[in-house]
Amino acid sequence: MNGIARALLVSLALFALGGCVTAQVDEMVFNEPTEGIGDASVVILGRRHASDYDTEPEFVRCVGKYISSRDPAINVIGELQFLNELYPWFEPRTAPLNARDIERLTRQPAVARKMEALKTEYMIWIDGSTVRGESAGSMTCAIGPGGGGCFGFGTWSDDADYEATIWDFTDRAEVGRVNTSASGQSYMPAVVLPIPIIAPVQGTACDGIAEQLLQFLSSEY
Amino acid sequence: MTTASRVAALFLLALLAACGPAHVVVQGDFPEPLLDPLPLTLGVWYDEEFAGHEFFDEAAARNESSWIVSTGESQVQMWDTLLGGMFRELVHMKGEPGPGQMNQVVDGVLIPQVDELQYAIPAHTSVKVYEIWMRYRFRLVTTGGKPIAEWTMTSYGKTPTAFLQSDEEAVNLAAVMALRDAGAHFVTSFARVPAVSDWLRARGVPAPGSAL
Repeated sequence: MNGIARALLVSLALFALGGCVTAQVDEMVFNEPTEGIGDASVVILGRRHASDYDTEPEFVRCVGKYISSRDPAINVIGELQFLNELYPWFEPRTAPLNARDIERLTRQPAVARKMEALKTEYMIWIDGSTVRGESAGSMTCAIGPGGGGCFGFGTWSDDADYEATIWDFTDRAEVGRVNTSASGQSYMPAVVLPIPIIAPVQGTACDGIAEQLLQFLSSEY
Repeated sequence: MTTASRVAALFLLALLAACGPAHVVVQGDFPEPLLDPLPLTLGVWYDEEFAGHEFFDEAAARNESSWIVSTGESQVQMWDTLLGGMFRELVHMKGEPGPGQMNQVVDGVLIPQVDELQYAIPAHTSVKVYEIWMRYRFRLVTTGGKPIAEWTMTSYGKTPTAFLQSDEEAVNLAAVMALRDAGAHFVTSFARVPAVSDWLRARGVPAPGSAL
């Protein structure tokens, strides 16, 4: 009994100490819309042309949700909806890599018509990913007729690094960049039951980048 | 059969199923292309091998699994949607174009083939992405089967590892990305094939996808 109580205390202490995330956000923007974006819309897209990683769709969704939930006046077009409606011009092979390429893209009459219908004022490209770093520890689990359980301890680190590039669709120009990096250590002690103490690294990076984008796009922040 | 026997039989079946190859029947939604269609009537002929395309990879080691990736149904779905949006009219040919074959009147017939398909899963590589790579061979012929153009084209799709996502789900997603990429590559490269360009020019048609 004494051992279990001690293990619980250790777990609680780890919960208080661990699962922490450190994050850093850098921002550089020009031509911020002073009155907000009005009834225009913004689209947030993930870069997917690197060979060894993809910007996670759930991260792109998280940023969009953060912005539209805090300022409902901002119309954020869903990534998949935009990619499907503009197919095949924003696939990894065909997506414009810099703001000047928008000019060439809108020479296609069908693309120009669609962009006008969507009222896209800003296009935000997010490039980056969250990667699992070093892990340590070991855990053993066993199951028998009388029940089962695990014993051991595991720990791992996660690192998130994302950059958002803001394009002004009307002026065909890049108007800002926001960088965020976050890292955190997660723990999983196990005394009969594993207790995961997860560091919300990707969520912190999402909040950091989305807050800066919200300040850029919204007239109320 | 008693309950215990049923449970034992189910358990045995589950064990046997675990020994079989991983089978992915590729399924996805493919959007219509955003294009002003070319003022041409295109015929298309999918042969049996293409419409039922299946890729089989036998496990190289005991701890690996064999894979069957069936793309045929999705190939037809994607190419029908793409070509239907890219040309004024798309017609499915009654038979393979050739001398003596009675077929509908069209400007040309496209015959796609999958030459090669390769896949990679994180268990094969140190990279945490699932990948599908395909090489297509296209033939553009007259209704009588006379060659107009022949060319190859590659496509690539990948998807990162994700929490609670099985290998099968990830391979399916990578295959859907590869099919979407095939459509994007086709739209932007079709008019750049010299023989196709000549064929289009002869019909007084402007090149599609010339903006990229």
